[in-house]
Amino acid sequence: MQSDDDGTLVLTHDPAPPPASNAFPTALGVGAAALALAACGGDSTPAAPPVAPPPVIVPTVKITPTQAGRFLAQSTMGATAADIVSVQTLGFDGWLTDQFNTARKIAHWDWMVGAGYNVVANINSETGYDPSVWRQLIGGTDQLRQRVGMALLDYIVVGISGLTSNWKQFTAAAFLDVLMDNAFGNYRTLLDQVTTNAGMGLFLTYLGNVKANPTTGSVPDENYARELMQLFTLGLYQINTDGSLMMSGGAPIETYTQDDVSGLARVWTGWTLDSTDSTTPDRYRRPMVNIAANHETGTKVFLKTTIPANTSGVDSKKLALDAIFAHPNIAPFVSKQLIQRLVTSNPSPAYIGRVAAVFADNGSGVRGDLKAVVRAVLLDTEARDDAAATASTTSGKLREPIVRLTGWARAYAATSATDAWAIGDTSSSSTRLAQSPGRSQSVFSWFRPGYTPPNSAIATAGLVAPEFQLTSEPTVVAYINYMQSLIVSGAGDFKADYTAITAKAADSQALLDDINLSLAANQLSAATIAQIKTAVDSIASSTPAGLANRVYTAILLVLASPEYLVLK
Amino acid sequence: MTLDQSRRAFLKRSAALGIAGAATPFVLNLAGIGEAAAATATDYKALVCIFLFGGNDYANTLTPYDTTSYNAYQSLRPNIAYARTDLSATALNPATPLAGGLQYALAPALAPLLATFDAGKLAVMLNVGTLVQPTTKAQYLAKSVKLPPKLFSHNDQQSFWQASSPEGASSGWGGRMGDLFQSGNGTATLTCINASGNAVFLTGKTAIQYSITSTGPIALNSNSATLFGSSAANTALRTLIAAPRTEILENELTRVTKRSLDTFTQVTTALAAGPTITTAFPTGNSLADQLKIVARMISVGQELGAKRQVFFVSLGGFDTHENLVATHPPLLAKVAGAMKAFYDATVELGVADRVTAFTASDFGRTLVNNSTGSDHGWGSMHFVLGGAVKGKKFYGTPPAIANNGPDDVGQGRLVPTTGVDQYAATLASWFGVSDANLSTVLPYIGNYGPASRNLGFV
Repeated sequence: MQSDDDGTLVLTHDPAPPPASNAFPTALGVGAAALALAACGGDSTPAAPPVAPPPVIVPTVKITPTQAGRFLAQSTMGATAADIVSVQTLGFDGWLTDQFNTARKIAHWDWMVGAGYNVVANINSETGYDPSVWRQLIGGTDQLRQRVGMALLDYIVVGISGLTSNWKQFTAAAFLDVLMDNAFGNYRTLLDQVTTNAGMGLFLTYLGNVKANPTTGSVPDENYARELMQLFTLGLYQINTDGSLMMSGGAPIETYTQDDVSGLARVWTGWTLDSTDSTTPDRYRRPMVNIAANHETGTKVFLKTTIPANTSGVDSKKLALDAIFAHPNIAPFVSKQLIQRLVTSNPSPAYIGRVAAVFADNGSGVRGDLKAVVRAVLLDTEARDDAAATASTTSGKLREPIVRLTGWARAYAATSATDAWAIGDTSSSSTRLAQSPGRSQSVFSWFRPGYTPPNSAIATAGLVAPEFQLTSEPTVVAYINYMQSLIVSGAGDFKADYTAITAKAADSQALLDDINLSLAANQLSAATIAQIKTAVDSIASSTPAGLANRVYTAILLVLASPEYLVLK
Repeated sequence: MTLDQSRRAFLKRSAALGIAGAATPFVLNLAGIGEAAAATATDYKALVCIFLFGGNDYANTLTPYDTTSYNAYQSLRPNIAYARTDLSATALNPATPLAGGLQYALAPALAPLLATFDAGKLAVMLNVGTLVQPTTKAQYLAKSVKLPPKLFSHNDQQSFWQASSPEGASSGWGGRMGDLFQSGNGTATLTCINASGNAVFLTGKTAIQYSITSTGPIALNSNSATLFGSSAANTALRTLIAAPRTEILENELTRVTKRSLDTFTQVTTALAAGPTITTAFPTGNSLADQLKIVARMISVGQELGAKRQVFFVSLGGFDTHENLVATHPPLLAKVAGAMKAFYDATVELGVADRVTAFTASDFGRTLVNNSTGSDHGWGSMHFVLGGAVKGKKFYGTPPAIANNGPDDVGQGRLVPTTGVDQYAATLASWFGVSDANLSTVLPYIGNYGPASRNLGFV
């Protein structure tokens, strides 16, 4: 059992006693209880929303700041001092419940309208999208939702520059709102809203897609049919509930064939915007509608499902999504994606299996309850065993660049007095992060879940490290340069507030202890801290400028250090 | 480069591998080096892969032009076909006409490449694509031969093109050529150079891919001697981010960072002292930006002690499921403008016959249109460009223009009649890969008869 900070573990009895085999009983105890509690499934389509029982779990362990910091590094866009206290007070499970009950303050769309970005002059621009996204990621109190929503956006992709519409900023915002609104909902509902979202229709080109034309020989666009199955729900190969490949005669078994793609493509015909009025962005927020004359009237056969001839577009959509949602792959597929995005690049099969079981049934018979899934991801013993994670030389994940920026911004209360949030597009790989929220060029996103840096010890060990797809000679340096600039100058009136930390700047050890917790969940070793301390101590603390430079140096070196960049 | 320099570089590299290969027996690394040392080169050559991400639409890139063929083309994709009159200016006149009166025209936007074709510096490869072994339509339908896994899937076919293996491949054929030649280069790191981010194509079993931006390497902290006024802080930063680590993710991060810092001065200095290229490259064209830095790196190849280099550049946006008529021609215009300028730059630098560029893409697309575009296909047409190219000629077999005809598996998805391995082997042979080493670079090349491993276009 890990001992750090105050080192005290207070074990109390819990209604769900942990199994004897568990090396980290408290976490699983909470997790198991959470399973029983998972009835708070909320807004699911397939089953009536169960009534949420009152929380019965009291924190059974005094959570240390280090433990809270690591948990928050997995579950938020960055920990603030207040967040750490909140987790310590409420417990992991209690904090999750509190976050599940935190409503969104405002949709991206509504904020952008309120801020006046819907003026006609913006019809052909992207203006307003970046400020709204950064504002919520950094300033939102619904941090778990922001983080889970970004995890979803990492693999259910609409990139603003790939939209061929006008009002791109609103189209992209409406899509992101779907992800954020459904982050704690049911995956089936999410799939429905993603599918009818105009941004997705544009990005994957089925908006305006029409049925086969026997005269010209034209056939339906297959783009959405393929990527919906490959990237958002099922993957290429049939997998067991623990994510491992099913094999047949030594070979993996394909989930679907080209015929399935062509068959499913027939469902995604006839979908279009519900208005021709482009004077306002409104039609990009409303779900697409189906034009019967453009919808395929023949049978649609895919994944051993047959939709009879003359089924309407709306009914076909329901039947198709039902079939995909019922496919056994979806539970381990989605579970692994979320574990990789939040906790670790290389979850054990057992971990995937435990989360997938919750996806399949939240304990109340509801499939696809994302609240229960998120709870299972974050409270699993493999996620919460701090001692094992920090001792391992292969665990954890590379923090994705966006989360590094937001983590710094949240730790130091960076905000924009005029609400301009002028951070902008951070996707440049030579001057910025090589990643920017909602700006992936491709539906294959910034990195692939199975990516392994070739010719590396990671590959030799048979592990994956998706975020390394963005790691190259230019990007490792560009990131440090960009953060150096942001730390000191911010962007426009987006600036950090170092008042509190500057008070500690004269005492380099105290300064670094504080930053180590705030940014790195205390994962920087004493040796690294000593290295950075030497740098800080080389700057005189006798002047305000010196104190500022000590703060800048300490923060930048922490943000640049490998022990920070790889979240254990 | 003198022998002594080569030897020193080789020894230095052996030591570095010994440290980096903690998870691999040292003997294996030596074996890798030994194999690599087998390929030697005295002159300079560069291969440049131009990857068109998304799956380029072959039929609107190289369009059937004789009346019979054009009419077949037009009837299969009436919504997105070029008008025949728009193709007359770019109709190709190969040195030896194709059989049966078959003619092709370049897409109008490819007009800048016409003169290069006529000058014999551009060759056209017909219906090339991913295969494990020679495959007929009947064999495909009967599933009686091994096929590349996950045909029609972007990421997997990109990977198979580059690596002969679907997504998750650990090395590509550009990188495997790098394995053979890096020991002859003064700086092994600068053997496989990516101006477009990260691609498995350029990763070898031991060779790494070095990534460079269109403006060159990126300086840390403006290459300043101090950080926030402190030289100690600057030193601490540089030490912290580049030192070996025991945690393997951390170590990979510092390994890349160290490479970035170590090569910065060397490459920047060489580029600064290199010749000024006066050839005008198109602006607002990211492919041209990438090819310009490739030309600049080639221009200083000698200074950097390079004998063999493989480059990778790319352009995205070719997944033209819709609005193909509006979106595809501008992409081709970028490709043509960038390739033409690059070729001209190699002429200016006096290295045209030492540099061969070739196109590649995820797959071809359907010949039959959907409402306004085309969908994922398989075989496609590609271009090979350079002073050593035997151009003004078509290579390979012209596919039947049909829907579910003899050469397609439906909708004009072509069964490739030439495998990527044959295309690659031809380039590799020119590059200097021996026949004995071809199977190291291209694991499936043994499935093709010796006489069909070199298509003769370069």
